[in-house]
Amino acid sequence: MSKEAAFVSSASMAAELELVAKVAKDMSISVKNAKAIANRAGAKARGFAPITDFIDEMSIDTMKLVSAINRESTALSRVAIGELRTRDAYSKFLEVKNKSQDARFISSLTKPINDLKLKQEKEKVELIKYAKKLKSLMDDISQKMAVANVIVSNSRIEAVNAEEYRSNLETIADDIDKSCETIRNRVNQSFHRLENAMDQWKRLATDESNKYI
Amino acid sequence: MKATNIYDERHKWVMFGRDPGKPDDIIDTNQYLVCTPDRALILDPGGTEIFSNMLAALLHHVSIEQITDLFASHQDPDVISSLDLWDQALPNAKLYAPWLWEGFIRHFGLNTIEYVPIADDGGTIDLGGIKLELVPAHYLHSSGNFHVYDPVAKILMSGDVGAALESPGADIFVDDFDEHIDKMKMFHQRWMPSNRAKNDWISRVRKLDIELMAPQHGRIFKGKNVGKFLDWFESLNVGTAV
Repeated sequence: MSKEAAFVSSASMAAELELVAKVAKDMSISVKNAKAIANRAGAKARGFAPITDFIDEMSIDTMKLVSAINRESTALSRVAIGELRTRDAYSKFLEVKNKSQDARFISSLTKPINDLKLKQEKEKVELIKYAKKLKSLMDDISQKMAVANVIVSNSRIEAVNAEEYRSNLETIADDIDKSCETIRNRVNQSFHRLENAMDQWKRLATDESNKYI
Repeated sequence: MKATNIYDERHKWVMFGRDPGKPDDIIDTNQYLVCTPDRALILDPGGTEIFSNMLAALLHHVSIEQITDLFASHQDPDVISSLDLWDQALPNAKLYAPWLWEGFIRHFGLNTIEYVPIADDGGTIDLGGIKLELVPAHYLHSSGNFHVYDPVAKILMSGDVGAALESPGADIFVDDFDEHIDKMKMFHQRWMPSNRAKNDWISRVRKLDIELMAPQHGRIFKGKNVGKFLDWFESLNVGTAV
């Protein structure tokens, strides 16, 4: 995984997770198809209806979660840019303090430096808060996908009893399974991307704060 | 960064420039400080790249609390891209800049400093006892552009007008005007787009009593060299790229 700034990671993550929303939407359409087939199959696919209802609901929830992730990652990106600018200013002010100790008015720089330090601390707290929120939202999606796996297995058992509708329902179960896997992989990738970016940010922030000590 | 007192009476003018610490591939700029015992104004504070050296040099002359005002002649990055950093250093300051560029200059980052838009016909900056005049210089080179005239010190800070492309460590003042022409000619012909705007500015500036004309790049014109510059500029055809 390449090193990238937290604001780049969160913006890229939002773009990557757009695909998850699309897959969840396709999944919702597949489920509606399955529901129509199950209706036609009547008693032969009685067990299929609650399964399709559940997966439909789950795909709608996933789309909502992706939309929340979009909002949060945009906010994270904004805070990360603010923190980067504060860190840059802080580092420049320290550099001035370091190289101009003989300047007559150097002590007047103490207050701006202290103010920036406080601002940076607040931004760090906010950045960590948004990162945690994002991880929790991604975790929610992963959990839903794990449940979906079990449900899809159940749906295959139900499909066996659906006689002439069996092959159609099995195809739909395969599609849903593939969609779940795509979502799980994509979310996993974004989760690690965010973790790497946050580790990178912590290292940079520590290195820079030690630079002039 | 080199600091040179160019006027030191009841109030002070200091020129900052010829920065040996700046990256080689960025244009050298002159920043000016005007200060009274209580207040200080930075004219064209410069770009992000020179911020640290500029602030370090300034603190030999004024304290952070004393810097109450900034002025940007126009929107260029070498003039004001350090704004975001000044914004974090001077939360109570004011920035005087052309009204035309407000929405653009804010892109550099402005959260705490107050933007004071300068109307097209100019205005004043009152430093408490010293009133500086904001002289319109539109299209020289920017479409919204001002210079600063100090009637007491008789100094005109002339932005890009009078600018020259110099080698590092050049002298502060123009010595031989004729020799200096080569360093100014292309700059003015290419960066200044309008002969009409140029002549309008010259007729306005000729009415001012100027001892020093201090551009944002290159050397300062002193005494007779100010008149020589105005005559030369008047005869120069500008906007030559088309």
